[in-house]
Amino acid sequence: MPSLRSIRSRIKSVKNTRQITKAMEMVASAKMRKAQQRVMDTRPYAEKIYELMHRIAYLERSFPNPYFEVRPVKTAGVVLVSTDRGLCGAINANLFRSLTRFMKERPEVNFEFVTIGRNGRDFVRRSGFPLQGVIHGVKDRGTIEEILPATQVVIEEFYEKRHWEEVWIFYTQFESIMSQKPRHEKLLPIDPRILTEEVPSSLTGEYLFEPGRREILEVLIPRYFETVIFQRVLENFASEYSARMIAMKNATANAKEVIYGLTLTYNKLRQANITREISEISSGAEAISQG
Amino acid sequence: MAFMLSLMTQEKNLLSEEVDYIQAKGVDGEFGVLTGHTPFLTLLDIGEFLVRKKDSTYSYFVAGGVVEVLPDRVTVLADTIERAEEIDERRAEEARQNALEALKQPISPESRVGYEQVLKREGVRLRIFARRQSARHPGSLEE
Repeated sequence: MPSLRSIRSRIKSVKNTRQITKAMEMVASAKMRKAQQRVMDTRPYAEKIYELMHRIAYLERSFPNPYFEVRPVKTAGVVLVSTDRGLCGAINANLFRSLTRFMKERPEVNFEFVTIGRNGRDFVRRSGFPLQGVIHGVKDRGTIEEILPATQVVIEEFYEKRHWEEVWIFYTQFESIMSQKPRHEKLLPIDPRILTEEVPSSLTGEYLFEPGRREILEVLIPRYFETVIFQRVLENFASEYSARMIAMKNATANAKEVIYGLTLTYNKLRQANITREISEISSGAEAISQG
Repeated sequence: MAFMLSLMTQEKNLLSEEVDYIQAKGVDGEFGVLTGHTPFLTLLDIGEFLVRKKDSTYSYFVAGGVVEVLPDRVTVLADTIERAEEIDERRAEEARQNALEALKQPISPESRVGYEQVLKREGVRLRIFARRQSARHPGSLEE
């Protein structure tokens, strides 16, 4: 039988926990709203440039370009976007699971990594895969400059050294507050077979580049994967805050339940003590009066 | 006949709607687009971007980026866009003066190029702002 005192101190400590989880829930929800807005604002550009690049790759398929060229894959690079911190439900675990499954389906491919976010870095280290670049501490209100070291690695490994034949990005897409999905996309080479929309045949042959295709592609290609990578990082932030908000909401609800249970036990115990004391007193009094 | 115009930066989708005509400044010069234009892709210079819809004309300051023109739609992926009425005249003037001052000093060729770029950008900003003040284009699309 626990003592009244020990129950009292447990109630107190659970109440403290509840206060903390409640505060974390509110912080996450405020950040989530901002991050969600930013995701909505940045999606159109990322979508358009993705679509545009693939259309160009299709129209340019007869011109050799290292960014469009599909090579047999020996080594693939993965840009792994995860959260810096924990306490955000299972989003990282789900992402790593989908990544593991993806790699298992391609046993002949060597995978190398650039990570954005501490959890992903730890995962890659633990699994013993080569790590070519590490970024963490990206701010949710930050700018594209913060992820440029990652794109630098991508350019180096894919374009300059031609060491990676493919580049993928893994991240958690924000769908709603209740739902965040692990996703992956092929960043490079830009493969027009991914194109969702049919390119009208009327475009072929009369699509002009001004000034020249080389000048335009030189500007456009780096911008393409910078923008896409950065937008995916923002998606991940919105997912992180939503997941944390929900996790903390559940923790707060659990704490409430525990407090309720403990208070009940506490009151029962207190009542039992009082009853016992009264019966002790009355039986004592009876013993005296009979004596 | 109208076509679909999407005007956006990395940070924001400014406009997605049917318009009748646009005019922009590409690196190879100004061009105008009506529905059914030959498909082409070009890079944007610093300049004014005009949109005409019915009887109204809207003016934007645009710096850098890319435009894709297709027969039935135009997509502008710009580095910077500002609505003409949102241009901060004082800030533009200040930046221009600072650049002018800096250019008087002996400086490295790289920073010279940088300041000349600033000078050009702020000059265009101020011109668009001034033109808008004098012409008083009819209000913005939101109105």
